[in-house]
Amino acid sequence: MTPMETAPFPILSTILLSTIVGLLVILFIPEDRPKLVKQVSLLFAGVGLVLCLWLYYAYDVQKGGFQFVERFLWVKSLGIYYFNAVDGINLPMLLLTAVVLFTGVWTMWELEVRVKEFFAFMYLLVAGVYGVFMSMDLFWIFVWYDVSLFPMYPLIAIWGGTRKEYGGMKLTLYLLAGSALILPGILYLWVQGGAQTFDLLELQRIGFPLGVQKSAFVMLYLGFGILAAAWPFHTWSPVGHVAAPTAVSMIHAGVLMKLGAYGILRLGMTLCPEGLAYWADFMAVLATVGIVYGAFVGLAQTDLKYVIGYSSVSHMGMVGLGLSTMTVNGINGAVFQMFAHGIMTALFFSAVGYIYDKTHTKMIPELGGLSKTMPMASAFFIVAALAGVGVPCMASFWAELLVFVSAVKTYPVRGILAVLALVVGALFMLRVVQKTFYGEKNERWAHIPDVPPFLMTPRIILIGFILFFGLFPKMLLDVIQSAVVPFVAGL
Amino acid sequence: MMMKWVLFIPELYYVVMAAVFFGWSIHRKGEPRRLFGWALVLSAVGVVVTLGSVQLEGMLFFDAYRVDFFSQVFKFLLALGTFWVIFTCSELNGIEERQHAEFYFFLSVCTLAMMMLVSSVELLTIYVSIELSSYSLYLLVPMRRQVDEYVETGIKYFMVGVTASAFMLFGISLLFGVTHTTYVGKILQVLPGLIREPAAVVGLVLALSGFFFKQALFPFHIWAPDVYQGAANQVTTYIATASKMAAAAMVIRFVGFSGGESPGFVYLLIGLSVVSMTFGNLVAIIQKDIKRLLAYSSIAHAGYMLIGILSMTQRGYASAIYYAVAYLVMTFACFMVILKVADDGHNLQIKELAGLHRRSPLLAMTLMMGLFGLAGIPPTVGFTGKFLVFAAALEKGYLWLVIVGMINATISLYYYLIVIKAAYLLEPLKPYPGVRVDPWTRALSIVLVILMVYLGIFPDQFVALTEAAARSLL
Repeated sequence: MTPMETAPFPILSTILLSTIVGLLVILFIPEDRPKLVKQVSLLFAGVGLVLCLWLYYAYDVQKGGFQFVERFLWVKSLGIYYFNAVDGINLPMLLLTAVVLFTGVWTMWELEVRVKEFFAFMYLLVAGVYGVFMSMDLFWIFVWYDVSLFPMYPLIAIWGGTRKEYGGMKLTLYLLAGSALILPGILYLWVQGGAQTFDLLELQRIGFPLGVQKSAFVMLYLGFGILAAAWPFHTWSPVGHVAAPTAVSMIHAGVLMKLGAYGILRLGMTLCPEGLAYWADFMAVLATVGIVYGAFVGLAQTDLKYVIGYSSVSHMGMVGLGLSTMTVNGINGAVFQMFAHGIMTALFFSAVGYIYDKTHTKMIPELGGLSKTMPMASAFFIVAALAGVGVPCMASFWAELLVFVSAVKTYPVRGILAVLALVVGALFMLRVVQKTFYGEKNERWAHIPDVPPFLMTPRIILIGFILFFGLFPKMLLDVIQSAVVPFVAGL
Repeated sequence: MMMKWVLFIPELYYVVMAAVFFGWSIHRKGEPRRLFGWALVLSAVGVVVTLGSVQLEGMLFFDAYRVDFFSQVFKFLLALGTFWVIFTCSELNGIEERQHAEFYFFLSVCTLAMMMLVSSVELLTIYVSIELSSYSLYLLVPMRRQVDEYVETGIKYFMVGVTASAFMLFGISLLFGVTHTTYVGKILQVLPGLIREPAAVVGLVLALSGFFFKQALFPFHIWAPDVYQGAANQVTTYIATASKMAAAAMVIRFVGFSGGESPGFVYLLIGLSVVSMTFGNLVAIIQKDIKRLLAYSSIAHAGYMLIGILSMTQRGYASAIYYAVAYLVMTFACFMVILKVADDGHNLQIKELAGLHRRSPLLAMTLMMGLFGLAGIPPTVGFTGKFLVFAAALEKGYLWLVIVGMINATISLYYYLIVIKAAYLLEPLKPYPGVRVDPWTRALSIVLVILMVYLGIFPDQFVALTEAAARSLL
């Protein structure tokens, strides 16, 4: 392992603090100044984005390994460390979080109900997400993980749409049931490691016996798998997506689901590589079923948000499939897909969010011909759909390519099934686009204004990221690879 | 000789405090505001006194009474709990005005008894202390306006309590028969050799049942929901916080003394813990009255706490102490909100919390943090407590117990979320009167929220403190 240097300036903690300070500032703004709340929220999200971009730029790919390390003892008697660091795997995730938060806050500019509380809960959620991605200590990963989950309940139940109370409750209970497996898993590994340390890297060096790895991996895989919407634990996901307000859907599908996949990779796979080898086959089966199932169930949906929800199940299946191959390409593809899918779904939900805000419906049969009345809103959705289908020049193309190449090699039958499902998925996405945006113009929506330029900006930023990493995949791949290659070599 | 009495200062102080209110109750002249002022000041001084005597150590009364760091920490916490309860008595509307002096009198006596309880290391002293605290509570519970409606509660509490005492006495006599001593320290030396004898295990379990009764652990919980509902809100708060602390302390000390790990005894405790958690959480789901809901949740929490205790390691006891403190803070936060929302002293229904986020954003937030803490969600102290308890249990290899505990925590989240939903989401069906929050309550709310988050995120020194307390135990 490469030696770690402590960062001269705690930039990771600063990113984390940008959300916590943002939260406190929002709490102290009077209730009757919603405009100010939004401005402050956008400002702090912007600070986070700038810092993450700088971090991405400053990360030394040649050197690889963990950089910007901050580490000191937190709770002595248990061996808990405050330990933040970035490597090629969590760096893209941090950037993703910052982008989705920034654009998400901007998208919610027209929110009028209980503005202050909305942004406060959202900042709490994002603090948790940042924390999970940057922590290298099992205790903190778990703490941040739960912090990122429970604000979902008020966010969905108060500001949500369709069946919001049911969706919010279902989502919260499902995800926290997942953490009911993660915590015993973490504590189990801690005890097996001598009850000395929660430091992820120190625990990695221990090399647990096979029996321990097998049971610990299952607990971590199932626990995090629920959040990654691994089939058959995905049912909370479409329901939750549909119920949530726009920015929450964006953060939820764009970032939160990645926490699950990230947890499987960071905790399950690096701590229990032999456990992974034992369960990989099983993981690949679940992932493939998820891909195929998501694509086919998506075919039958008439609600735009359900369509995206099921396509997310399918796309997150690809992440799982990539991880289960245990090859450089597969894991590269999985991490790339986490990033690409995050940006893409954020765009999807922000496009649907605008349409829903204006027309108050997201049922495909009721819409139709929208490209004539709101060309920009339609364009955003169509770009996202193309990205989801995996058209070249879009970021997801490279991700899916990498996953499929390695999947077909490792698990031929499942790999081919997944590719076929992708074709079906493409078909259904194009059908949705055709029905919603082309064809008969629906006079009911003729008077509706298109996206104003101010609200176009966040969506354009998202498209910018999709295209940038689609055209220059090396910019992302090199970073990811710097962490994945040593990991796979150590398997 | 003088030096010895210094050890007894906290208890003596509460004797004086009780005497003051006893005098008042005879004169029947105390008007509520003045009584409240006196009680507040006296209990605040009590907190200072117990804090000042936290470092004392020694033995009293022919070694029947042990003053150590463990007992002094709990005395401080009891004093703090009592102070908080009295703090919320500014509108003591649940109790007739002419009975206010008695109310404070019995509160002081009960606190005194519990302080004696956490220091007692001799079976008969323990029994006397526990009865003194119980009888104060038997009188406090029926002391409520519209007593006719709630008279059943008082009788039920008394009957169940007396039965538990009888069991306890029987257990004590068995222990005495097996070990020929009533000193817990001597029992400790003899018991590990006898722990496989049925009489010893039965004696230990029956003796413990007295504490389990106070802690409302299944199957000794029968009284809890009715008493929580039937007693005046302030009395319920006292039972739910201070009384629970004392019981937890005693269970920790007693199991700690039992030393030897008979598998049968451990399995019995595991069984009690699992049943208590599951039963409490499942029944809490259907409750409409928030005090009843918290009663069932307290049954579940007694189960969580027992997980740490039954690990029988120093870390286990330390985690249980941590959990007890966390529980005190979180439960008090919830009850304070209930007291303020129902300031006329009626029993609060969950649906009456509707729209609380607008009636009082601060109280709504305090309630939310308290409930999330009880559900074990970070970054609150409740999460860290669960974490420590489960870590101690896993160190002993009780993986399944921890998984059951976590599943239970998820179940409990459901009913806590229902309450949070009422406070944050539901619109009131009829306009409820506004919630008056005086500056002091406001300050206490903020202190509680900060305390819950601070102890949750920066547990290092606090964990070290509980470990020191657990060390002094053995």
